[in-house]
Amino acid sequence: MVRAALGRAFRHETVLALLLAGALAVLAGQSGRFLTADNLLNQGRLMAEVGLASLPMTFVIVTGGIDLSVGSIFGLAAILLGVFWHDLGLWLPIAMVAAVLVGGAAGLLNGVIVTRFRVPPLIATLATLALYRGLAEGISQARSVRGYPDWFFVLGQGEVLGVPTQLWLLLVLTAAAAIVLGLTTFGRTVYAIGANETAARFSGLAVDRAKMVVYGCSGLVAALAAVIFVSRVSTTRSDMGTGLELDVITAVVLGGTSIFGGRGTIIGTALGLALMQAMKNGLALSGVKGDGTIVVIGIVLIAAILLSNLLSRDGNA
Amino acid sequence: MMRKVMVLAFGLALASGSAALADSPWTGGDNLPTNPLACDNTPGVAVAKPYDGGQPTGAPDLKGKKITVVDVPKLIGIGYFNATSKGIAEAAKELGNVDAKTDGPTKANIDEQITFLDNYITSGVNGILFAANDPVAIAPVLKKALSKGIHVVGYDANSTPDAREWFVNQAEFNGIAKAMVDDMAKEIGEDGAFAIVTSTFTTPNQARWIAEMAAYQAKCHPKMKWLETVEAQEDNILSFNQATTLINKYGDELKGIFGMTSVATPASAEAVTQAGKCGKIAVVGLATPNAMKPYVAKDCVKSVVLWNPIDLGYAAMYVLRAAVDGDLKPGAKSVKAGKLGELQIVNGSEVLLGPPFTFTKDNINNFDF
Repeated sequence: MVRAALGRAFRHETVLALLLAGALAVLAGQSGRFLTADNLLNQGRLMAEVGLASLPMTFVIVTGGIDLSVGSIFGLAAILLGVFWHDLGLWLPIAMVAAVLVGGAAGLLNGVIVTRFRVPPLIATLATLALYRGLAEGISQARSVRGYPDWFFVLGQGEVLGVPTQLWLLLVLTAAAAIVLGLTTFGRTVYAIGANETAARFSGLAVDRAKMVVYGCSGLVAALAAVIFVSRVSTTRSDMGTGLELDVITAVVLGGTSIFGGRGTIIGTALGLALMQAMKNGLALSGVKGDGTIVVIGIVLIAAILLSNLLSRDGNA
Repeated sequence: MMRKVMVLAFGLALASGSAALADSPWTGGDNLPTNPLACDNTPGVAVAKPYDGGQPTGAPDLKGKKITVVDVPKLIGIGYFNATSKGIAEAAKELGNVDAKTDGPTKANIDEQITFLDNYITSGVNGILFAANDPVAIAPVLKKALSKGIHVVGYDANSTPDAREWFVNQAEFNGIAKAMVDDMAKEIGEDGAFAIVTSTFTTPNQARWIAEMAAYQAKCHPKMKWLETVEAQEDNILSFNQATTLINKYGDELKGIFGMTSVATPASAEAVTQAGKCGKIAVVGLATPNAMKPYVAKDCVKSVVLWNPIDLGYAAMYVLRAAVDGDLKPGAKSVKAGKLGELQIVNGSEVLLGPPFTFTKDNINNFDF
């Protein structure tokens, strides 16, 4: 009885918000430099790449799929930006757009393998993870490209009205994603596919097309994040983005998106992302070394999921 | 529609791949100017250049006061950086007014190294010691540190010169190149063929050494043949697999393997031992003596080139303290580094530790790191 009442009061997102507030309070207590505007804006800058990639990943996981290749698409787009600009001599804005489009194409390929050939998304994107990473390393011949013009660095290292450029981009895209997922028919379709794909198909929803769009966007936004990252570190390398997919999926799952599909919100992902970044930064500032931070994040992830399961109304994952 | 997109993507990939193949003679070298030493033992001339490092802005005056220093190497958990960390701790203890800590990524990954540095800058350290995974990618975050008044000194692997005050170079790049190539030529002969196992093609120190080795080999051992360079990212298992692949791929043609990292050399020696080619394939490289003792004892490896990484960390800590105290200013010709004495400053802002050291069967047992 009490559990049911608590479950009604505490959605996963509320639990997460309280957890975030608690973590911020504890970490601020541990280090005076944590809650300063300078640090918080800087953390916003650092989490932009993972944040951007986690927006379409929310859509992907809500449909019941997964995309493990975002890190490799990230690396591929980063390398292609360098190749298009430096080796092929394209004008830099064109090169940036081309790199992002290649990311979209890579995502569409994922979509084709999942919808046309009916390969489970886990296997399909595991394979493309290796494929795209291999392409990136092969194309780059492991030479890095440097010497970008100064205006390019405004994207990754500059500020607009005092807030880092990529943070504005992240905020705008988060708002857009939240509106699409929560308030449009496309969003409904995505939830329906995750809840019961066969029923969705028989209800006349364009399931395959929705999946292609979702995987395509995942690749597109991963490539956009790569362009921002190259701007932030001013060079391109073929090993960029290795392990990105794990951070992205952690943020999404921490945000309450069910790995089986059908449940999840953008605001949950945003809260999960903020919690992860706050912990990584706050723990480092209080003197915890790198390995300790990873352990704590793992524990918090398990705790958040357990807590949310305990308090959920019908006990479903 | 889908097929057209795929063909287009593939075509672009192939085109750019072939365009990219143009450059350096050996894969894995960078394209900075090289300066090979003479083929006999004439020592090189130390280059005098004006100071080209960066300076911190608004650094507080901490002469003689306690400072906090963080050391962020390429990765933690391998013998080489455990040794440099030990040297840094030793120097910190001797100086008495330094609180030094080593923290870094568990994989040689530049993204993570940048995040570590960023967090420590925010937490307000007074000094940063680093060994870079990528010289250009690490520059923006180091420049940010300088702009906040934090002193920055590099060791082992450099960044772009204006992103740090000083760089402690373990040995002249062309000196290491000469030692390695001469040792290999002695073992496999003047027309032997060899391959290289390195960390990644963009790691600054490895790339510099490979470029210098290519120049020296072209000058003094022109008939030796370079087969291939492979990446092994300071990972033990990957290094072993790559070395085994090289042995299987080139068969009898492969006469020698260069190990460019302290992880690649023992792994290559192990690969050669397990393939049963001890004595037929020479392994020459950079490694810590402890890792190589079993192979040197079995005569599988005849010589190991290195320097003392404990001394390297020790010197880096002293250079940082001198920079903080204002004792080491741009334009200086030498710096006092505790028990190591006066170290020369070459190339503008590089502090030279000394000549490379070759470990052989006769002396390897005298060292324990």
